[in-house]
Amino acid sequence: MQEKAEIRSKYWLALFLVAAYTVPFGIGIYTDNVFFDLQWLADLTTVILNGIMQGGVYAMFAVGLTLIFGVMRIINVAHGELVMLGAYLTWMFFFYVGIDPLLALFLTLPIAFVIGVLIQKLLLNAVVGGPELTPLLITFGLGLTIIHIVEAIFTTDYRTIPYAPDALQISESINIGRSKIISFVMASFISISVFFFLKIHRIGKAIRATAQNADVAMVCGINIFHIYMITSGLAAALAVAGGALVSIQFGFNPETGVLYTLQAFAIIVLGGRGHYIGALIGGVMLAVIESLISFMIPNGTAMVEIASYGMMVFVLLIRPRGLMGPKEN
Amino acid sequence: MKKSFVLILGFALALTAAPFVEKSHAMDKVSLGIAISQTGRYAEPAGRMVNSYKLYVDQVNAGKGWNGKKIDFILLDDKSDKQTSIKLYEKLITQDKVNLTIGPYSSGITDAVANVLERYKYPTMAPGASSGIIWKKGRKYLFNIIAIAQDYQKGAIHIARDIGVKKIAIVGEDSLFPRQSAEGAVEWAKKLGLEVVLNENYPRKQTDFTALLQKIKARRAEALISNSYFADAAAQIRQLRELNINLKIFAGTVGPGLPKFAKQLGDTAEYVLGFSQWEPKPAILKRPGMKEFIAAYKKRYGVNPNYHAGQSYASLQIFGDAVAKAGSADRDKVWKALRTMKTTTVIGPWKVDDTNLNQHEGLTFQILNGERKIVWPKKISEVPYKLPMPNWKERGKN
Repeated sequence: MQEKAEIRSKYWLALFLVAAYTVPFGIGIYTDNVFFDLQWLADLTTVILNGIMQGGVYAMFAVGLTLIFGVMRIINVAHGELVMLGAYLTWMFFFYVGIDPLLALFLTLPIAFVIGVLIQKLLLNAVVGGPELTPLLITFGLGLTIIHIVEAIFTTDYRTIPYAPDALQISESINIGRSKIISFVMASFISISVFFFLKIHRIGKAIRATAQNADVAMVCGINIFHIYMITSGLAAALAVAGGALVSIQFGFNPETGVLYTLQAFAIIVLGGRGHYIGALIGGVMLAVIESLISFMIPNGTAMVEIASYGMMVFVLLIRPRGLMGPKEN
Repeated sequence: MKKSFVLILGFALALTAAPFVEKSHAMDKVSLGIAISQTGRYAEPAGRMVNSYKLYVDQVNAGKGWNGKKIDFILLDDKSDKQTSIKLYEKLITQDKVNLTIGPYSSGITDAVANVLERYKYPTMAPGASSGIIWKKGRKYLFNIIAIAQDYQKGAIHIARDIGVKKIAIVGEDSLFPRQSAEGAVEWAKKLGLEVVLNENYPRKQTDFTALLQKIKARRAEALISNSYFADAAAQIRQLRELNINLKIFAGTVGPGLPKFAKQLGDTAEYVLGFSQWEPKPAILKRPGMKEFIAAYKKRYGVNPNYHAGQSYASLQIFGDAVAKAGSADRDKVWKALRTMKTTTVIGPWKVDDTNLNQHEGLTFQILNGERKIVWPKKISEVPYKLPMPNWKERGKN
């Protein structure tokens, strides 16, 4: 019986997603935003490619959020603030020391790991395993604190790093920003590295074991607090890496982190909470649908947020585990 | 225990009551009250306005004063917050009993406090507000100085027509000021016979414009009229380059006017059009008293005044003239004077119509070699504009 409901929800989700991707095209045709010529197809391809590139970066920091949730059942609402912090760290290294934003990753990632470990030691260790509301409130407070500290130091001014401003021409009328491609390649590389670390390395396996069942992991001789720390450090590093890649593409200010937290949420709900590959796929899917909406629906850019968070709500209703999440007990 | 509580309560009451005690302003002074953002998100532009106010008050007080009376300048901080601002203006009027008031910074806050000012019939200069809608609500006591948002893109659209652009796209952030600027742009396009092929908004904090820009390209727009602030304008021009979309014109509003626009974007910012109410260029604008004002401001603050500073200085000049014409700081007489008089300030002529709007003409500039150069209206242009923008491929690599 349960098995049947399970399969049914899968089909419903598939149906919903197909519908979600079809709607922009439908509205586009109805409102004359779709032209049936080669030029338009090239424009559409550009938009989809850009969406995929974007999604790769979103996915990377969403993966950090999903890791923490999977291992500790903690929803870290300060995750976006770590992304923002990453953007500022990169900006500082670029403008004050003159280090290339990508090379700066060698410096920012260790710093991020330490920040993550500290957050775990000082805040999260105290609340892990307790009532679910406490960690939510603690990370919420942490996020606000980070925002205001950064605001006090850097003011609310928007900043941006001028990096690889030109286009890479793929064909006559398909162009993609170099900084986008660089970001996508870096994000994919980091995400895949972390994936294999989790699959193959001893510590990675221990992290997965803890995620599956902390008590059993403990009985097997895994020091789960040790694992918590590494997970937090890893998640912070992923967020900061995301921030670095965001900083070379977009402007940012202390408040932009909130946006990334929400985005990461929508992604992991879609992909399945706690599921690594799910988050990667969810990231790309969300970014692509956002692009399609913006491209084809009249005044679509103003509706992107409605659509992505609406999608999150629908997925929770139809199939709370999302695309690939583990069964809820 | 109870006794001490009563004591404390009494003490607290006495404290809160203290400000209600009539504050008598010496009769030989004209008190001028303002609440403006000295902290919070508007602190930067509002700070430049405060600089000008202080400069003007000190100059007048060192000289003949207003009708021989010195100005008592009362400055409060609204923390960039609407509610705080409303409370502070109530306080200025009912407790401090100031003679005259000047408006706050930003259209949103001005719109909110304007109701208070109307209720108490305080003639108020509003150099910090540019949304035309504020003056469409039948208000009598709030006086406009600067060009309204609806005219921010006037120059850009004239230029577009002059270089033969037929199709334009209008985009803007989804908030009061950009919406009004867009509304005006649509009107001007209609008047000048340009086709608006796309008119869309995007949410605040939008960073990725890729799909929107691609849509503009798909609609075959030749010019992009962007009713934006700094971050969004910067992102748009940058992403146009990334997507290799070549337009003839990119016109922002306030973003390109900030020095950091050209600095942070490098040669991507070249050829961009922007709007300014005023520029500290006396040799070109030739307004009376302009040179002296700029010199005094620079001497005191170490930088040239920007348009915020210029328009706030102008607002006090107007008040000064009105007080002189009225013969006193009596609010009714000052109000009548303001409604009918004609005067000239450091930013240009001033005379209001029935709705208290002054027809101030702003200017359109272009970023050329990293500098803002006035290119429109023609009679005050520094250099001819260089348009259409060259293709991205032809620009030097950086």
